[in-house]
Order: sequence, then C-alpha cells, then structure tokens
Amino acid sequence: MTKSTFKKKFLPWLLPIVIILFWQLAVQLKWIQSEFLPAPTEVVQTAIVDWKKGILQKNISISLFRATCGFVIGGGMGFILGLLSGTSKLFRKTFDSTIQMLRTIPNMALIPLVVLILGIGEPAKICFVALACLFPMYINTYHGITSIDPDLLEMGKSYQLNTVQMFKQIIFPGALPTILMGVRYALGTMWTALIVAETVSADSGIGYMSTNAQQYVDVKTIYLCIIIYAFLGELSNYIAKNLETIFLEWRNSARSLTEE
Amino acid sequence: MHQNSHQNRKIFIFFLLVAWICVAFYGFKQTDLGNSSEKLTTIKIGYLSGDEIEISAARGALKKKLRAKGYNVVFKKFTSGAAETEALASGSIDYARTGDTPPVAAIAAGSKITYIATGGVKSNGTGILVKKSSGITKVSQLRGKKIAYTKSTASEYFVRALLKKYGLSTSDVKLVNLETNAASVAYSKGKVDAIVAWDPTTAQLQLSGSTLLADGNDVNYNNRSYILSSSTFAKNHKSLSKLLIKYLSQDMKWANSHHSTLIKLLSEKLGVKKSVIKTTINRRKYDFEPVTQTAIKESQAIADTFYKAGVIKKDPKIKSHVQYLSVN
Amino acid sequence: MALIELDGVSKKYGDKTVLKNVSLKISEGDFVALCGMSGGGKSTLLRLISGLEKADSGSIKQENKEISTINSDARMMFQDDRLLPWQTVIQNLLFGDKSEERIKLAKRLLDRVGLIDYQNSFPASLSGGQRQRVALARALMSQPKVLLLDEPLGALDALTRRNMQDLIIKVCSETNITTILVTHDVQEAVRMADKIWIIKNQGIAKELTNPERNNQTAEAQLKKDQLVETALSCILDNN
Repeated sequence: MTKSTFKKKFLPWLLPIVIILFWQLAVQLKWIQSEFLPAPTEVVQTAIVDWKKGILQKNISISLFRATCGFVIGGGMGFILGLLSGTSKLFRKTFDSTIQMLRTIPNMALIPLVVLILGIGEPAKICFVALACLFPMYINTYHGITSIDPDLLEMGKSYQLNTVQMFKQIIFPGALPTILMGVRYALGTMWTALIVAETVSADSGIGYMSTNAQQYVDVKTIYLCIIIYAFLGELSNYIAKNLETIFLEWRNSARSLTEE
Repeated sequence: MHQNSHQNRKIFIFFLLVAWICVAFYGFKQTDLGNSSEKLTTIKIGYLSGDEIEISAARGALKKKLRAKGYNVVFKKFTSGAAETEALASGSIDYARTGDTPPVAAIAAGSKITYIATGGVKSNGTGILVKKSSGITKVSQLRGKKIAYTKSTASEYFVRALLKKYGLSTSDVKLVNLETNAASVAYSKGKVDAIVAWDPTTAQLQLSGSTLLADGNDVNYNNRSYILSSSTFAKNHKSLSKLLIKYLSQDMKWANSHHSTLIKLLSEKLGVKKSVIKTTINRRKYDFEPVTQTAIKESQAIADTFYKAGVIKKDPKIKSHVQYLSVN
Repeated sequence: MALIELDGVSKKYGDKTVLKNVSLKISEGDFVALCGMSGGGKSTLLRLISGLEKADSGSIKQENKEISTINSDARMMFQDDRLLPWQTVIQNLLFGDKSEERIKLAKRLLDRVGLIDYQNSFPASLSGGQRQRVALARALMSQPKVLLLDEPLGALDALTRRNMQDLIIKVCSETNITTILVTHDVQEAVRMADKIWIIKNQGIAKELTNPERNNQTAEAQLKKDQLVETALSCILDNN
C-alpha cells in the first residue's frame, strides 16, 4: 500500500525535480551561460521581487480573468450549439456544416479581424479566447449526444420517458463523458489562445509580461512567465480531471461487489 | 473509506474553483472594464460660455483625472448665472461656476447653495465705458447722463459702488436697465452715454473707440468667479470638492501659461476677435482656490448693497453658506 | 375475452417479409412462449405488441384498443439489460421521479427481486443476472398488464438462468400478469409458459399447450419432455 502510494504520488515529480536540480547545478558550475538560462533560484527571486511590486499578482489575475471569461462565454456557446445540433435535426442541417467550416480556420488568422472589429481592449482578448474554446466544446457536445447508445434511447422510448426525462436521464449523462473531454481540451486551447491574444496587443497579463521582458532581454521574467503558464495549464488540467472523476463516479465503480 | 475520499475530492475541487473565480474576479477589477463602466459616478458641472470651466472642458485634463478617481464628469452649458443656481437648487447639476452676483441673489431668495471655491481677480476687465468722442474723462462728468446696466448683475453692483464713491446718488444719473446684449446695442447706437460691462465686452469696446472710465480697482471690486454647489451635495462630497478645486487650479495654472492656445480657443467659443481675447486674458489671472475670507467679504458687500437698493428682499449672511476646504 | 388480439398482421423489413397475415389471441393471465429459429419474427411480434414497431397491415388490439403508439400497458425486458450505467439501481427504476410513492414501490420491487441491499450500487458493480433482475423490477414499475420478455436470459449462464426463470415464474404468477416470452430455447419455454407457439414461415405454425407446467411429478415431467420433443420437431421440420 505505502509502496503503491509512493509510486502514484511521488514518481511523477521525480524527473522534474532532478531536472531542476541539475539545471541549478549546471548554471552554478558555469557549465552553461546563465545569460539565456538563468538559474532556477534567480527565476524564483524574480518572482518574489515582482510579487512584492504587485506586478505578478496583477498580471496573473488579469490573465486568469480573461481566460475564465473567454472559456465561460466560448465554452458555453459551444455547449449550447452542440446541444442544439445534437438534438435537433433541423438545427444540425442548418448550422453544422457552417460551424465545421469555421472550425477549420486557424485561430491566428482571426486576429486581424478581431482587432479590427473589437479593437485591442478586453473584449477583443476575451473574444479570442472564446473562439478558441467554442469549437472543441461544440464538437464534443455534438459528438457526445449523437453517439449515445441507441438501445438506451429505445429503452427510454418504450418506457415512455418524456422529453425532459429523456434529456436528464439518458442524453445528458450519456454525453457527459465526451463533453467533459471537450472541457479538458477547451481548457488547453484556452491558454494557447490567451498567450497569443496577450502577445499581440496588451498592457497587462502574463503574455504581456513575457513580450515586454523580451524587449528588454529580461530572460528571467520570460522563464517565470513560461513557468506560470505551465502551472496554470497543469492546474486547469488537474481540475478538469477531477471534475471527470466527480461527475463520472459511475465509471469508476469497480466490480468489487460481484456475487450471485 | 472510498466514499469518504470521494467527498473530500469534491470539497477540495469546489474550493479550488472558488479560489480560481476569486482570483479571476480580482483580475477583472484590475482591468479597464472593471475600473470604469461599473461604478463611475456621474457629476454634472454647469458653466457659462467662455468661462474657466469651458477652458477646463476643452483641455480635458479635469475629466481624465476625475475619471481615474471614479467620476464621470459631464459639462452643461447655461446661458445665465441665474439658470445655473436654479439648476443647482433643483439638483439637475452638482456644481456650477458663476459670477459673484447670482449666488447672492439665489441665497437671498432662499436657495440652499454653498460656496466651494473662489476664482481669480477680474477687476481690470469690469468697469464703465464711454465713447472717446463723448469727451467724458471723469466719473463726475456722468451726472445727468444715461448709463446702461443689467439689473442684479455685477454691473449693477459696480455702478452703485462707483456712484457712491464719487458722491453721486442713483438719481443724479439716468440708470437704464437692459439685458447685456441689448445694452451693448443701445450703447453702440448712442442711445445711452455710458455702459457698465465686463470682459470680453469691455475689451471689445475699448478696441473700438471707447475709454474705460473706471474699473473694479477704483471701487475695490474684484468681480470674482465662484464654484458653487447645492448645500446637501457639498456636505456629502467634501473629498470630491477638494479634488475638483485641486484639478481646476491645475487647469488654471495651465491657462495662465498657455495664452496663445487659450486665445484661439476662446475666440472660437465666444465668436470674438483674437485681439479682444488677448486683451482680456492679459489683464486677468486665472485661479481657483478654496473660499477665502476676503472673497466672502466681497460677496457680503454685494449682498448689503443689493439689499439697500431693494434688489433683494433679504440681506443674507454669506459666511454661513460657505464650505471652507483645505487643498494641498 | 382476449386481452391482446392480432388480426391479419404483416410486417416487412425492406423486401424481406418477416410476418405474414398473423392472427392470434392472448387472454388475460396467459404465459405465452414464442419459440422458433432466430430471425423467424418472434422479436418482431413482440415489438409490434409493445408499439415500438408498426405493422404494415392488419390490426393489433389490446383490450379492443388499437395500438398506434407506444403501448403504455405493456413493458419490455430486452435481451441486454439496458440499464443506465450512470444511475444507481434505484435511480434506474425511478427515472427521476422521486415521489414518495414511486420510491416505496421501487423498494418493494427491489425487495421482491432480492436486490434491496444493492439499491445504491451502480449497474457496473452488479453481475449479469443481478442486472437483469433490476431490469425486471424496472419493467414492473409502471404495473403493466402485459410483460414482454425478449430473450432476457439468453446471455446468462445455466445456473443463473434457472434462478431467473424461477423468479420470473414466481413474480408473474403472484401478480397474474400476462406474459409473452420470446425464446429460442424450447426447454425454457416448456419450463416457464403454459402456451407454446411455434413461429415459422412468417407465421404461427403450431399452438401447443402445457397444462402440466407447475406439476413436478415424474409423470408430468415425462409429458413435458414429450412436449419439448414435439416443439423441437415442429421447429426443425422443413415442411
């Protein structure tokens, strides 16, 4: 038991820790130039200084706000559209091919248009993140609903479930695993889109911190930003994974009680 | 045990999400979106054409600075000081810049108005004018002449103070009460011999063949500007008033040091020749400061004079309508 | 009076005729087994009665009412359990309707099928037999007049199967519910049903009765064995 928890909890951390230690050592022993690869301790110092100045909290929280807002708006819209496409044939016929076509446009290609229409303020950045979150949520919701076991739907029909019951008892929970996969995927594209949005035009946020640092060849801050992004990405992934465990409890119920 | 760990996971993730949303909300407050549109308080400032507030409004610094403090400034143009004091009393504006007589009249009529700030001295630009061709060179020569003035304005106070100083009574001259525009027309057509006016009319007349027979300095009359507010608003917005005075005085300093810009601006706004504006602003100093005792005494003198002349029904105590603020 | 009455019913899937001009009558309280080769139209007959399918011609009546949509007085048990995996056993019976009355009924039925202790388990943690018991309880939730069994025991091992047969017989006789069982297993049919109809050549080829169903004497057993033989030979006879 203790051995397995060790394996489960600490093994994934082993390699990063070793890498960081080696990195520190390499810089301190001057194996590599610290000009482009500052020691981890230096990055931590930069973080502390920026924190004291209030820059770090401000930029992280602003980035988080943009990301969350974009995710809620884009993800929500994707979910609703996916739901409509999945449940209504008329809607699917009318909109699906259009949405699929829009999906193939690379996000970066939309930057000039978004800037032109919404300017460079918060709405533009949020819109950009929202666009990136919309499609994965749409695809997964739509796919989740259309791939529900038809036998279960027939069962619902023969047991005379009404529309609400059909949706609440069969369609939604049946599509939920795929939808949550979409959430996880959208969280990934959310950060990517945010970095792009904040690099293009911003005066705050982690992306801005990073591009600003690039202009002053402030390598430590660049590394700090990369680490923050990695941390935020991992955090959202962790939350998404746990949401899956919580909402899909039934999938984990092992066959431990088998007997006849 | 399994059930327990499941419950713990739920609670942990819930708190993680709450923390996430809190941080995101904190971020929202840091953005322009969170700062501006949400809780900007609108304040309305009344002004008259070509006055100090018009300069501030055109410069834009005041609006910007107050926006940063959470206020959205709206400027409202009025055609007379009386209209402004009325709007103040009814609460449709929060502050007003007027001359020195409208608040006296309004307070005497029972309006609950408070003096917030005092403007600079304009004694050089307010006075009595006669045509050079008239041959009048001394105030005493005005005996029996027709003098155009506007009732219950600075011109009335000035003419009364002037006559008193030179030992004349109102019956020794013929006072003709005319609206400011009508007075100018009557004077230029020769229907009256003299006119009591203030800048830029004074400057304009001087530049077109009139002599300034006497000005504010002769009767110790400074004809200041004032910033007024309704008494209740003033009581509840002391810090805002302080900010307003501070920023206005910054604008006034700017005005004093940017005459050429100012000349262009005011000549456009007032539709008056640049040379006229130049004379006007060269002989006055722009300023705003918290209300001073001197200024209150001046206003009280106006009130007393008007009361004696029967222009107002009551002699108000000006000093009880003042908010003394300290601005650093 | 017949509870269910089919008159001249035909059904085609594409070009393939599955049922041709079938007429039959089932009385209240009957336990009818439909036997035949797979693909012979047994399941189609059941689905027609349940209202999941529509006949191309002919009439299907229950209590003299034409069945045009889903038959609300009949409930089907499918070959696979078709339980909702994301819901616990008791939730599978309730379908979201959590009125006190429904919960009470659900608990009573779970008790009857012997699964009251598993009411909060997910289907994935149950065995195949247990899952079919939940499905049986679920079918009985609306207290239907007719129970339609579409080879529900086909996937179970022999022992579990026997237990389930006994359970179904018990439940059906207790509630006096009219039951139609589709099965390819003639022995099962003889064990469970009191009427055995052989489906062959797109229609009912033979109607057999099983008067000794509940009789366990050696003599009765012999008669039942003979019945199995008769049924089998009828199914396998090419004419």
